[in-house]
Parts: sequence; structure tokens; C-alpha cells
Amino acid sequence: MKILGTITILLCGGLLIFFTSDFPDFGDPKSPASIHLSPYFIEHTLEDTAVPNIVTSVLADYRSYDTMFETTVILTAGLACFLLLRIPTKEVTRRYYLHEPTGVTLRFDGDRYPKGSNVFKRIDSNWVPYDIIINFTCRLLIHFIQIFALYVVAHGHYSPGGGFQGGVVIGASIILFAISSNLRASIKRLGEKAAAIFTATGVFIYAGTGALCMVIGEHFLNYSFLAPLLGTDRIMARSHGIFIVEIGVAVAVMAVMIWIYYNLSSAGKQDEGL
Amino acid sequence: MTFFDGDSSLISNLPAIVVTLPLFASLIAGFLGWKNRKAPYPIAAVALFLTFISSVVLMIQVMSTGVAIEYRMAGWAAPVGIVYVIDHLSALVILLITSIAFVNFIANKSNIDTVFRNKAGAFNSLYLLFTAGLLGMTATGDAFNLYVLMEIASLSGYALIGLGSNRAPLSTLNYLFLGTIGATFYLLGVGYIYIATGSLNMADIASIMPKILDSSMILFAFIICMVGLLIKMAIFPLHGWLPNAYSESANVAAGLIAPLTTKVTIYIMIRICLTLFTPQYTFDYLNTSDLMVWLAIGTIIFGSLSALAQKDYKRMLTYIIIAEVGYMVGGFFLGNRIGVSGAILHIVNDAAMTLALFMAAGIFMWKTGEESQESLKGMFAKMPFTMAGFTVAALSVVGVPPTCGFFSKWYLISGGIAAGQYFFVAALIFSSLVNAILFFRIFEIAHFEPFKDHHHHSSNHSNKGEEASAHDTHEQTIKEAPLGMLIPFMAVSILLVVLGLYSGQIVNNIINFAIPSSIL
Repeated sequence: MKILGTITILLCGGLLIFFTSDFPDFGDPKSPASIHLSPYFIEHTLEDTAVPNIVTSVLADYRSYDTMFETTVILTAGLACFLLLRIPTKEVTRRYYLHEPTGVTLRFDGDRYPKGSNVFKRIDSNWVPYDIIINFTCRLLIHFIQIFALYVVAHGHYSPGGGFQGGVVIGASIILFAISSNLRASIKRLGEKAAAIFTATGVFIYAGTGALCMVIGEHFLNYSFLAPLLGTDRIMARSHGIFIVEIGVAVAVMAVMIWIYYNLSSAGKQDEGL
Repeated sequence: MTFFDGDSSLISNLPAIVVTLPLFASLIAGFLGWKNRKAPYPIAAVALFLTFISSVVLMIQVMSTGVAIEYRMAGWAAPVGIVYVIDHLSALVILLITSIAFVNFIANKSNIDTVFRNKAGAFNSLYLLFTAGLLGMTATGDAFNLYVLMEIASLSGYALIGLGSNRAPLSTLNYLFLGTIGATFYLLGVGYIYIATGSLNMADIASIMPKILDSSMILFAFIICMVGLLIKMAIFPLHGWLPNAYSESANVAAGLIAPLTTKVTIYIMIRICLTLFTPQYTFDYLNTSDLMVWLAIGTIIFGSLSALAQKDYKRMLTYIIIAEVGYMVGGFFLGNRIGVSGAILHIVNDAAMTLALFMAAGIFMWKTGEESQESLKGMFAKMPFTMAGFTVAALSVVGVPPTCGFFSKWYLISGGIAAGQYFFVAALIFSSLVNAILFFRIFEIAHFEPFKDHHHHSSNHSNKGEEASAHDTHEQTIKEAPLGMLIPFMAVSILLVVLGLYSGQIVNNIINFAIPSSIL
């Protein structure tokens, strides 16, 4: 079986290499990809959409329908992780409590310890002592990471960036917080329910914009018809429309990253973990 | 007057609505599932029903005008933007998807409540997303957009199949690996096509095709797209993922995914071969017919023989699905009008038959809690209506007139004879005979052997007289499945006969227009 697999892989690789012989040269201006559609995008993007970044306009306007479903793919991934991994039972067997004045750790079976005590603190089973350097650095960094993320979302029109990248950076900042303190602290600030609702909201912003265009005008996602609502002309409305859907993408991507992280790092229990 | 305007704009936006309606419903269901566990089911049911209605309207529209509807997403025309193209073929498959998704959803309410109790929101969301993904794959006229929607359908499919028996996660992992390889191969093929043509729009690529027939990049794109799709439709010897994935999963998931995934993938294959690579390339230039028909023959024989070896009812069905994939692939690659018509007709018929058989499986499971064929003892006496429906479905798979299975098989066999592929004809007849054995074996068990009460295992084996009288009382009490399961099932089995009676009209009024005139 192993030999069969190796032969298949070698055959596929060989075929892939063999068929590259017919490829156009690297950066060939006469290649079909460069002469068929690309000239249209290069020449018309600015007059069609008022967005200087061609990648953004292709992604979120000319082929915005693809991008909407790419965002939906991310939502699907989050839902799939939740459906398959999440263990809904509340019967947590063992919990550890640290008595802070003495440093003694107690183990309780079940959830018997009264909440709201100011001397006992619940800790994870793989607890490590508080590390001031890691905590302090992360506290300092997270705000700047998040502000940078907002910049990335907003500047997709002019520079590399946009909803996916910005959303990933925000999500990463929250995961960094979860790693530097612990999962429970992170869930306390942004719970699973909030993450799930944010995910649906993000995709809803995108698809809802599309449907709004359809209701007002004639085509799904044709942002031009938003012009009266946004108070701009039809070209500028496309630029604004792109920005609106980028925000939707950012919200969805951020929330899904966090949601999947919660489920993966705690093996679906969302009780303790990194 | 304004109302009329609004109405007509609603109709002109139908191609977008039919795909985005399930998407919106899935978002709302996922959202409300966190507030109220009971809310998602009715939302999903209503959305699936409305989607079904829109697909019926689309079908009527296409049939009455006779021309394909083109819908420009974001308002951009064909090669620059993404377009949806609803022609006779895609309208037919869209109607098929929406009706199966709706009927299966209605029939399996109790199954959803037991298996996905705590995760109703996520389950209903994923069910709708799967439907939206398949609908988008069918409606799109863009090769890359097809991949994006394939991703949605596959991902949600893995999640839906993943919850079931204890072994379901493992078989889903297997499915995930192979399914991902299949989808990636398709994507790689699209990449090669883009390098060779610079376009992603199917019609645009087809217009460039005659100039680049001997390009080796196009050849490789064709090969790798086909291999990817063949993995996804589980043709022998790439079928390894299918039997476990479908038989271990929950009934509601199997009832949705088993009838639709393979059939929609075959539709994609037909679409790619006819609309993207053009029939001239597929049939005349490459002459793929012989190779593919032999592959189909192998699939039919393998699927039938493996089905014969199965003791579990649901596993047997999965191998029948594999054999039927061979019917359709073979029929299409016969390359003549009758064969292609038969393949397309069989997509519709086989989806309906598979749905009926899996719904029957759901009812049997509900009744006995087991999957083995032995557990069906005495079913005819116990559940006469269910068994009547099951008999119709079984006869349809065997290919007995006037059920629909007979007519598509008739087209396939005539096509095989016209193309001179006598081995394909022989394989079809062999497979029909095997199906007859398979189902008559079940009839025998269900009709002649007494019912065994699985809920209260009889401890009374010593006294034979008492046992016999106990059986007598059992046989007299008819205990059917709840109406919520029974009515949709009966409707589908009646549909099998209706489809059979109207198959001439379907072929003449729909499928005839779906096949390009260059195929004779």
C-alpha cells in the first residue's frame, strides 16, 4: 500500500513537471493571462470603482460574489468545528483551586466550591505561575496590534490589506491574550456565544449589502445602487460598498478564528486550556 | 403598477435568490439557535420551501422562454465578472436539489431532534449551507466560482456526516482527505485553464477552446479536473471514502448527501465537458469515450458485486450508489444523444430513488434500531404502507416499468447499443439482475419471516406455543411510522412512478434542450 502511494505521488509529480514545459515564460507580457482580462482590470478599475488597488477591486467588486462565499466558507469552518468538537455536557469532573495566601492547591471533584471567594482562585490543571514579562509585554502589544488591524482593514483600498488580513490580525491579538493569560480569562471577555453571533453578523453584513443592492436596484452586490443611501455618485458608491463588505469580512474572520481556537485548544470543553 | 414592477424584479433576480435564500436562512438560524433551541428548524423548513418554489418558477421560466437566463453578479458582464447561467440542464438539477433537500428535511424531524439536540442552530445552518453550496455549483457559469461553492458544500457535508455512529468521525476524516484531494485537483485544473486562456468564465473559455485544442496545458487541465471530479463522485477505484461515510452517518445527513453529492458532481462533470471543454474536445479530439466507458463498466460490476456481499441494509445502498455512478458516467461518455439523455435523466431518477431508499432506511432504523437486513423480518405485516413504498423504490432500482428506473435504463441501454458498447449494455443488465437479487432477498426476509420485536426481546423461548401466539398478535397489530415520516416517504415513492410515466415529456421538453446540437 505504501509503495502504491509512493508510485502515485511520483507519477502525479512527474506529470505536473512534464506539463509545465508548455507554460508561458515567467512574467511574459504576451501570455494569455496577461492579454485576455488583465488589461481591462488595469485600465478600468479606477474609473469603474474609484479604488486605486486593483486587487481589492477585483476581489470585492468584480468578483465580490466569490469573496462573499469565501467568507461563508470560513463561517462553515467555524460551524463545522463547533458541531464536531464541542462537548455540551456540564459534568466537569475535576477542578483545581489555589489558596492565594498560602499557595496551597486544592482539588475538588465536581463544581462544589462556592463562587465569589476572594482567597481561592480557580486554576487550570496545567497551571504555571504568573509570568510578569509575558503578561506585561502582551498587555502592551495587544492594543497596538488591534489598532494596526483596523488600519489594515481600512486601507485595503490603497495598500495591501483588507478584511481578511485585518480580521486575522484582530483574531490573533485575542488569541495572544488567551495564550498569555488563559482560556477562561479570554472567554470571560469574548464568549463563545458572542464569537458565534459575530461570525453570522459578519457574513450577514456582506450578504445583506448584496441583497440591499438587489432590492433597491437590479443585481445582487451591485453597489452602484447604494449611491442614494450613501449620498455619493455611482462610482464612489462602489468604493464605499467595498469598504462595507470588507468590514463584514473582518468581523467574520476575527470571530471564526477565536471560535475555532476556543474549541480546539480546550478539546471542545471550553473549560480550561491555553 | 409599482407592485408589478417589484414582482418582475423579484423574478429577474431569482437566480441569485435561489442560492442566497438558504444562505440568509442559515445565518438567521445560526444566530437564533443561541437564543432559542426550537427556532432554527421552522426557519430552515420555510427557507427550503421558498427555495423550492423559486426553483419551480425558474424551471417554468426557462421552459417557457426556451433561452438560458444569465444573471450578472454585481452587475458585471461575462468574462469580467461572475455570471449565473440557468439553462434547461441547470434548472432541472436545481429543482432536483431543492426538492430533495426540502423533503428530506421534513421527513427527518425526529432524527434531527435526537442526534443534534444541543446543536440545533449549527446543524440547521450547515444543512442550509450545504444546499446553498450545491445550488451555487449548479447555477454558476464561472469555473472558479464553482470551486468556491464546492468548498462550501464539501465542508458542510463533512460536518453533517461527522456525527452519527461511533465510527462516523473516522470515516469522515477519510472522506475529508479524499474529498479535499478531489477539490484541489479541480482547482489545479482551473489554474491550468487560466494560464492557457486567461479566463475563468465557462462560455468564454469554450469560445477560446478551438484555437488551443493541442495545448498540453489544456490536456492536463482536462485530466486533472476529471480525476478530481471522479474522486468526488466515487467511481471505482476511487470510491474508498463513500461506503463508510454514508453508512455511518446520521439518517438525516445521509438522506441529504447520498442522493445529492454524487449526482451533482456528475452534473458538474457533464457541465465541464459540454460547456467548458466543448463536446468537440471531449469526444472528438481526445476520444475519451472508450476509456471512460470501461471505467464505468468496472464501477458497475464492482458496485453490484460488493452490494451483494453486504449484510447491512445501509451499506448495501452505498454500493448501489457506486454502481449507479457507473451508469451515469458510462451513459454520458457514450457520446451519443440517447446515452447523454439517459445519463441526465438518470441523475434525476437516481437521486429520487436513493432518497426513497434512504428514507426507508430511516424508517426501518426508527422501527428496529438496527441496520442489518435480518432486522427487517415481518415488516410487510407490520408496516404495509412503508413496505409498499419501499417496494416501488426497489423495483425502480431494479428497473421494472412503469417506475422511473426502467426508462433511464432503457435510454442508457439504447445508447450503448447505438454506440456499439456492448460490454456496457451487458454490465447494465448484469447490474439490474444483481439488484433484483438484492431486493428480492430483502422482500423474502420482510415478507416470510415473522416479525421480531426488537424493543422487548422475548425471553420466552421454552414454550413454543406461546411464542407462536405472541407472533400472531404481533402480526395483527399494524404499527406504522409517524405520519411526519410516512407522508413524505409515500410522496417520494409515488413520485418515482410519476417520473417514470412522464419521462418522455422530461426528455423531450427539458433534456433535449440541455444537450448541445453537436451531439447526435
